[in-house]
Amino acid sequence: MLKNNTSALGNLEEIEKVSWNKERVTNLLVRNSMVFVLLIVIGYFSFKNDGFLTLPNLRTILIASAPFALITLGQTLVILTGGIDLSVGSVIALATMTSAKFVVTNPNQFWFAIGLGIFVGLIAGIINGLVVAYLNVTPFVTTLGMLTIASGLAYAIGNGAPINGLPERWGNIANTKFLGFQSPVFVMIAGFIIIGVIMTRTSFGLRIYAVGGNRVAAEVAGVNSRRILIYVYAISGTLAGLSGVILSSRVISGPPNLGSGYELSAIAAVVIGGASLMGGRGKIWGSFLGLLLIQTLNNGLDILIIPAYWQRVISGVLIISAVTVDMWATKRSSK
Amino acid sequence: MLKTKGKVFAVIAAMAIAVTGVITAPATAAAQIKIGVTVYDMSSFITQGKEGMQAFAKANNIQLVWLSAGGDVATQASQVEQLINQKVKGIIIVPVQADSLAPQVKAAKAAKIPVFAVNTTLKDSSGLTSSVLPDDVAAGAQEMEQMATALGGKGNIVILQGPLGSSPELNRTAGIEKVLAKYPNIKVLAKDTANWGRDQATNKVKNWLSSFGDKINGIVAENDDMGLGAVQALKEANKKLPVVGIDGIQDGLAAVAAGDFIGSSLQHGRVELAAGLAVALMVTQGKSVKTTYTYVMPPITPANVGQYTKNVVSDKDAFLKRLPAVIAKNLKSGNIANEN
Repeated sequence: MLKNNTSALGNLEEIEKVSWNKERVTNLLVRNSMVFVLLIVIGYFSFKNDGFLTLPNLRTILIASAPFALITLGQTLVILTGGIDLSVGSVIALATMTSAKFVVTNPNQFWFAIGLGIFVGLIAGIINGLVVAYLNVTPFVTTLGMLTIASGLAYAIGNGAPINGLPERWGNIANTKFLGFQSPVFVMIAGFIIIGVIMTRTSFGLRIYAVGGNRVAAEVAGVNSRRILIYVYAISGTLAGLSGVILSSRVISGPPNLGSGYELSAIAAVVIGGASLMGGRGKIWGSFLGLLLIQTLNNGLDILIIPAYWQRVISGVLIISAVTVDMWATKRSSK
Repeated sequence: MLKTKGKVFAVIAAMAIAVTGVITAPATAAAQIKIGVTVYDMSSFITQGKEGMQAFAKANNIQLVWLSAGGDVATQASQVEQLINQKVKGIIIVPVQADSLAPQVKAAKAAKIPVFAVNTTLKDSSGLTSSVLPDDVAAGAQEMEQMATALGGKGNIVILQGPLGSSPELNRTAGIEKVLAKYPNIKVLAKDTANWGRDQATNKVKNWLSSFGDKINGIVAENDDMGLGAVQALKEANKKLPVVGIDGIQDGLAAVAAGDFIGSSLQHGRVELAAGLAVALMVTQGKSVKTTYTYVMPPITPANVGQYTKNVVSDKDAFLKRLPAVIAKNLKSGNIANEN
């Protein structure tokens, strides 16, 4: 009898232990759901096609990701403040056309052309930031306006036509290789590390979260929220400018519609990565995963010869389900 | 006959201007034939076309009213109405969309203004006096023939298409498929759109290279930009394969010259749009015209790329000078795409 009782108690303890472990595993799964989704996607594609899980294909995914990575980083910061930057795609076009136009007439002023493209992005970003911070126009409207302005200017620079005949050397920026990887891949990795460190280890990063979480409270705590907003949009614009230079170098031309629609990809990556569009919540690591997931899907679906229109359907389903899972997970963890 | 009369008149008018100077200027302006043009947008093709039209207009005492619709059907519709109100002698439309402008064309007809479609036709072509249209089916067939020849009639290809459902994409794809039917040993591994863009084509081709490895023997792109994207993807993967494009843009011509493309097909905006203006002029002069003039894109090969590069890029001013004469000759011979 006594013996029986102890064993029953032991069983109970064991059950408690198991369920506690289960809980922990579920939490772990929920918190890192994107990592697992990504692993499942990778597993599926690897199983379906031998060409997927290879070093050359890894290079292919990473070089395709790089230009998106830069605008995704900028977008993450903007979204963390509770804003949105719809102008990045057009700023890419504007930066591309500015550098292309300059380098086609001054083939020797190579570095200046690169700097000019980035500078144009910076200016567009600062204007966005000033309008949002001081004129209190909503970020959606401000950057929507900038989207049309930058796109119009990009066409104006080329008189409505793409710029052809760029010097061969212009291709060196994006096509120089280290260890078999093209240079933009390193720019992407450096970008994620630098901004990741800034967001987690510096007071500047903390202030960005604070402004997005509760602007009034942040200001009471002594954060100059206007300055933070201007910085954030300026960073987003600058990264879009750099992205434009890289893209234009990769294809050695200046198409005025380059980057159109890229802003949606960047926003999707950030959202899939778990950031809240209301601001204050989100991680650079999450955006990185979101970006990798989108790019891996694009690559894998091409490899499986899924037509472009079905790819769009799949991406859309992915965005909605990622956000659904994320909302569910947040609810669960706050319980 | 009418033409020599026109020339004599032009000479007299020129002398009159020279003698009396500014005072007679309004009078000669009135004697000019006013023709309206509305184009879908300012693409590089249209930019070339505008140069060609201006050169032809200058040589033939035509006053061009040039409008661009910025890719918007509604804008183009109001531009046609605006041209009707201005009482121009002819309206040339480079349509934004084939399925549009029916009421405006009807209104022009009611006002006895002839309407011409250039580059893209209108779905309801009954109101059109004449059209100058590129043969996109032939261009697709031509590039596929170029590729088939390069492959010796057998091998695996991938195809980069234009925006799915757009008329050049549909026609060029139809041309490609027509030729493919003749070559049972050429297999299409994959075909998909890269929306005319270089960046999209680069990524698409790189992904296909991951998928098929060395199985791909050639890349058929429905325009030069996507072909150039494919060339970039091949360079990144340290591969060399035959690539073919269409349009003969500046970088495409350079790619043929450099051996990156096996060939292309020339759609020269200066020639095609100036031909449209020439047809409109003939109608205002009361001459009879054909319902359709077809611009058959000449093949660009490593052998002839030098001459075409001169005409399109390096020596285009000289080409524009002789363009009016070339156009007049082409309308007589019926070979609208001729450049000599």
